[in-house]
Amino acid sequence: MQASRARLFKEYKEVQREKVADPDIQLVCDDSNIFKWTALIKGPSETPFEGGVFQLVFSVPEQYPLQPPQVRFLTKIFHPNVHFKTGEICLDILKNAWSPAWTLQSVCRAIIALMAHPEPDSPLNCDSGNLLRSGDIRGYQSMARMYTRLAASPMKG
Amino acid sequence: MLRRRVSWDVTNSLAMDDVHPSSDSIEEEATTKCYSDGFDDNEDPFFLSDDDFVGGDDGAADALLEDIKEDEIDLLKHKQQDYKILNTAEIRQRMERDVAEVSTVLSISKDEASILLRNYNWSVSKVNDSWFTDEFEVREKVGLEKLVVSSDLSSNKRKIITCGICFEPYTSDRIRYAYCGHLYCEICWSAYISTSINNDGTGCLMLRCPEPSCRAAIGQYMIDSLASEEDRKKYSDFLVRSYVEDNRTTKWCPSPACEHAIEFSGADGIFDVTCRCFTSFCWNCKEECHRPMDCDAVKKWILKNSSESENVNYILAYCKPCPNCKRPIEKNHGCMHMTCRVCRNEFCWLCLGPWKGHANCNRYMEKTDTEDRRKKLAKESLEKYTHYFERWDANRKSRLKALADHQRVKNEEFKKLSESQDIPEAYLEFITKAWLQVVECRRALEWSYAYGYYLPDKDPAKKQFFEYLQGEAESTLEKLHNCVESELKEFLDVGGLSKKFSEFRTKLVGLTTVTGNYFEKLVRALENGLCDVNSHVIKGSEDEVEDRWHCDRCTYANPSSLKSCKMCFIK
Ligand SMILES: [Zn+2]
Ligand SMILES: [Zn+2]
Ligand SMILES: [Zn+2]
Ligand SMILES: [Zn+2]
Ligand SMILES: [Zn+2]
Ligand SMILES: [Zn+2]
Ligand SMILES: [Zn+2]
Repeated sequence: MQASRARLFKEYKEVQREKVADPDIQLVCDDSNIFKWTALIKGPSETPFEGGVFQLVFSVPEQYPLQPPQVRFLTKIFHPNVHFKTGEICLDILKNAWSPAWTLQSVCRAIIALMAHPEPDSPLNCDSGNLLRSGDIRGYQSMARMYTRLAASPMKG
Repeated sequence: MLRRRVSWDVTNSLAMDDVHPSSDSIEEEATTKCYSDGFDDNEDPFFLSDDDFVGGDDGAADALLEDIKEDEIDLLKHKQQDYKILNTAEIRQRMERDVAEVSTVLSISKDEASILLRNYNWSVSKVNDSWFTDEFEVREKVGLEKLVVSSDLSSNKRKIITCGICFEPYTSDRIRYAYCGHLYCEICWSAYISTSINNDGTGCLMLRCPEPSCRAAIGQYMIDSLASEEDRKKYSDFLVRSYVEDNRTTKWCPSPACEHAIEFSGADGIFDVTCRCFTSFCWNCKEECHRPMDCDAVKKWILKNSSESENVNYILAYCKPCPNCKRPIEKNHGCMHMTCRVCRNEFCWLCLGPWKGHANCNRYMEKTDTEDRRKKLAKESLEKYTHYFERWDANRKSRLKALADHQRVKNEEFKKLSESQDIPEAYLEFITKAWLQVVECRRALEWSYAYGYYLPDKDPAKKQFFEYLQGEAESTLEKLHNCVESELKEFLDVGGLSKKFSEFRTKLVGLTTVTGNYFEKLVRALENGLCDVNSHVIKGSEDEVEDRWHCDRCTYANPSSLKSCKMCFIK
């Protein structure tokens, strides 16, 4: 508990400093609870998520950083490795490939990388995975783009 | 001298000349000598040597009993010892021996050697081969790449370094690193290692550096210097587990309470092993011993049994009506010879036919009736399966019963028997041998029925040969089982010195050997896929030309040229 608090506090200070350095990620700690974080990440360019802003919620366990944080999308996203309803993310570093050297910031970066490089073989969203696996890149992209516009575009409600 | 004599009596002196090749020629020589001692005067060696024991001290008798205990294990064991039973300390020794060997041969640290072995399933030869093929590639694969650690870390102990996990500043003497040189503080290392040991099972043996892009291995040295004592103990237990489970030559004994592992080095396709805890199993598939069936067929058979279990449940019932008076009879004997308590009808438990002149019970007869063909086929296939399953299952139960009976007799009756017959308890070893022979043969018979089920119908010659061998083996086994079960019981029930006991002994010893020989023949023939079927036909007809007579006492079929029984020396 003590160790995780100290570590999260370090990360908090680091985030304040890096804010300008990484314009694609905006990490915010809950005012009253250092174990609750949210992040806004920008959809990577040259992907169907370009132009969208996606919200992630972090729930950090007391054993952090020995145990990984729980992360999910709050914003609807059409992606094979993200559960369409719950926003749950299938990413190895959030499970058995976790290492205490990861930070919340680097997890955000890994999620952005996952958005750009989906892995259709371990789908949480079967429709999306099937489109990709069957080679229907266009179908996948137009669906993903549509949801980006509907759910992740700041201008629209 | 004395103890040797007893064991020869039972195991060797009555062995048939052709079947049991002796492994020890010196003993063989001595046996002959001892054997002529006894038999030249046409006296029973058993009672002759009895004198030797009078006045013998108890210590010698104890030692003798211990010896017999070992013999008992020997009997269960595969003839050539091509496996070793290892306890935890012995497993550790072997592991350390292998690590030391690799460390010496490759001129690397023991820590590195251990990491290498873990990555190559503890195979020293595989490690050596891979290493000498491409050391660099191997190092990369297992996480032993040599990276240069910034030299001022070791030279300047007061240098301040930020830990890569807690991001706290530490002086360099509190910073640790694996083979790669990624720097973390002692506290974070300990927590990292402990988390893995307590959550990843044997996976903690493959622990890597916390840096995500780094694949450097964390060896035992790091564990020993950074983990708590409790975690170190767990880690070392995981190492033992890995050494047994990942090693292709060792397996755990399947008995849940047992901590022994069995190292197997045999190559002849016979995998039967017996652990120090007396659990016998097939080392290859970990099912119970199943000679003469092979492991794949056993798997198939077990699968078949579970899928057919509903159909044949009724077979498992312990009660059958007497075929004569129809009163229910419960089977509580091990052998198949049943006697109805009410009408004294003697019959075979398996086929319910009369026991007298009963010979063809093991033979599966295909029924020919005029039913609708499809229905008939379906029924037949179930009937066929049922036939073999019932016999397989009955022999299995009989085997377990024999094991329990033997234990009971040995624990409860041997002492009484030795007193009533006025002989040392050690002399009763022949009864133990007989029981263990029954157990071993029941097991072989059990699996020969599963074997029979898979024997193709389209090769009638083989089937006939199979049934001939099986039938012969089975009928001697029934005699042996009956003798050690019922005839022995007479001596137990009556008590008091019996002259007949010596006769009984001769008969039982003879039956034990004969049964062993028949089964040896059966098992070998089945393991050879019955390929001797043709030579058998020729030999069979010769046999018929040569008249044989069956000894009344031990049932051995003697050639007519002999006047007295080759087996028990009775006219
Ligand atoms: Zn640290
Ligand atoms: Zn490293
Ligand atoms: Zn065991
Ligand atoms: Zn097997
Ligand atoms: Zn009856
Ligand atoms: Zn029968
Ligand atoms: Zn005889």
